[in-house]
Amino acid sequence: MTIRFDVQNTETTPALRISSLAHRYASSGTPALQIDALTLDPGEQVVLTGSSGSGKSTLLHLVAGLMDPSSGTIEIAGEDIHKLNGHARDRFRGRSVGMVFQTHHLLTGFSAEENVMAALMFSDIPRGSHRDRARTLLESLGIPTPSQRVERLSIGQQQRVAIARALACDPALVLADEPTASLDPDNAQVALDLLQDACRSSNAALLCVTHDQRFVDRFDRHEHLASPLEQLQGALEGA
Amino acid sequence: MSMSDWNIVTRSMRTRTFSSIVTILSVAIAVGLVTLLISMRDAGENSFKRGTGNVQMLISKEAGPLPSVLNSMFYASPPTTPITWAQYLELKRSYPFAWTVPTQLGDSYLDAPVMGTDGSFFESFQPAQGTDWTLATGVYFDEPFQVVVGADASARLGLSLGDTISLEHGAPRSEGGHTHDEFSFEVVGILESTGTAHDRAIFTSLDSSWIIHAHDRREAIFGHGITTSIDDLIHEDMKITAVYASLGNRKGALVQVLSALLRDPNWTVASPADTVGNLFSIVSNIDQVLLAMAIAVMLSSGVSILLALYNSMEQRRKQIAVLRVLGASRPRVFSMVLTESAIIGLIGGAIGIALSFLGGLIVTNVLAQRVGIVIEPALPLDGYLMIVLASVALSCIAGVLPAIVAYRTSVVRALRPAM
Repeated sequence: MTIRFDVQNTETTPALRISSLAHRYASSGTPALQIDALTLDPGEQVVLTGSSGSGKSTLLHLVAGLMDPSSGTIEIAGEDIHKLNGHARDRFRGRSVGMVFQTHHLLTGFSAEENVMAALMFSDIPRGSHRDRARTLLESLGIPTPSQRVERLSIGQQQRVAIARALACDPALVLADEPTASLDPDNAQVALDLLQDACRSSNAALLCVTHDQRFVDRFDRHEHLASPLEQLQGALEGA
Repeated sequence: MSMSDWNIVTRSMRTRTFSSIVTILSVAIAVGLVTLLISMRDAGENSFKRGTGNVQMLISKEAGPLPSVLNSMFYASPPTTPITWAQYLELKRSYPFAWTVPTQLGDSYLDAPVMGTDGSFFESFQPAQGTDWTLATGVYFDEPFQVVVGADASARLGLSLGDTISLEHGAPRSEGGHTHDEFSFEVVGILESTGTAHDRAIFTSLDSSWIIHAHDRREAIFGHGITTSIDDLIHEDMKITAVYASLGNRKGALVQVLSALLRDPNWTVASPADTVGNLFSIVSNIDQVLLAMAIAVMLSSGVSILLALYNSMEQRRKQIAVLRVLGASRPRVFSMVLTESAIIGLIGGAIGIALSFLGGLIVTNVLAQRVGIVIEPALPLDGYLMIVLASVALSCIAGVLPAIVAYRTSVVRALRPAM
């Protein structure tokens, strides 16, 4: 079965458009996240900071379609991911969204190139090109031994493999959740360089969530995510 | 080569090598047991039925048909009640038999029972229906103190043409038996294997057997050092223990003779094939218990697959969540876990079939050496395929619960950084 996504021209369509997004915890009904509007153009790099509990990670899960919002819309390359169900949503995520995690979440027992190819196996990219594509990506990110098992690589190298995997399918949007949190300052610097350069060269928009204020100036735009409580306090002070 | 579901499943199994091997072995042992039991059950009955050959009636003075058949056709132990030669001749005269074979058991050589009989044993009696006796080498006996050796006895006791042996009076290893060193028997023929209990026996003429017994009688009267020949035989010495008989194709006559002999209190008459059938209907209850036990082992191996996969889910939640993030659908991770359990069932089933062949070889060997019954524990090819398919199906059923766990894995929870 071929699934067609209504992806619009990425030159004019925002990579990410969030409108009137609200999310509440199902168990308590407590507000977890409130965003009126957020847009990322293709290739744009935005850093999102916020205090602990402001809903940064929740936002990434909502954008990736791993959770459904209580209300509002999230469009990726013009496609409302939450209007897609089951298999279609999974395929769309695999093709259009790359994710980089704080702890890499690589598949242990597999080599660096196999980790990258694991992302490609769920895409429409011809299978015959997977290995070359993975090797080229890894080489460009400075991994000289793509056949080495990931658990034998250094933390910094593992992060590079994670970046390669996130970009393997030429996604419209890359979501990075505290990508430097587990790295020392030097490696953090290098990892961010690589992530930003790789996104730039593939024209993927980057939404990077961090609490590390040192790196905010490196991005095209800095957004601060206030927790619902902070938003309420702000509203009260304004009144 | 690109990555595939197969790579992920097999690599996942390899990362848990010990657990995977133990689970596969538990399936293999269960499949092996079930296969061996099923194949042995059919082969055992066929082999016993084959051993009765073309004998329609076994006539003796034993306590009942079953001991009569087991003792006189399968050499379980020597028959205890003799038939005089005069009674045998009278029996032959009284009924329209197509052929009769007089047999006498009670002597042995080492482990092998010795049967006294006459030439009709090799001419009329077929050890298996439609199969005549064939000599591997030598000739049939035609004089006293010559023996023809069954294939298994020859191989086991190392007997070859020209060897001489002394018989022991009594069953193999029986108490009170004694060796008749004064009579040397020459091996004049070695038989081809027939796949029946007769392969472990040694055959000689009735005269030879009677002379040995006459010698015992005469020694009791005249003391040691005497010699005994065929001329010394008296009616009292000339005894047999059973008669193999057939009426050929005359079914009506067979029914009449059978019913007449059944009414005669002097004789015990058995239809060997029916008696073996009855024996197997008795042991089929035990057989069913064993089969039930084997199925229970199979089910427990299914539970072990379930536990092995279920326990591995805890370690694999992260892997599943990562695959979901990369674009794997819930049904796809469900099918990956099911594929893994199917692989366990397939490999376990194949090893189990191999184990059943190995077990069959051992059991066949032991039965051939101890009982002389040659059985061929084999199933038709589709029988083996069905067993492997059942193993795969059972494994898949056992994999459903772990697959549901994989299906329902919460990506958000599984990827949440450890606090």
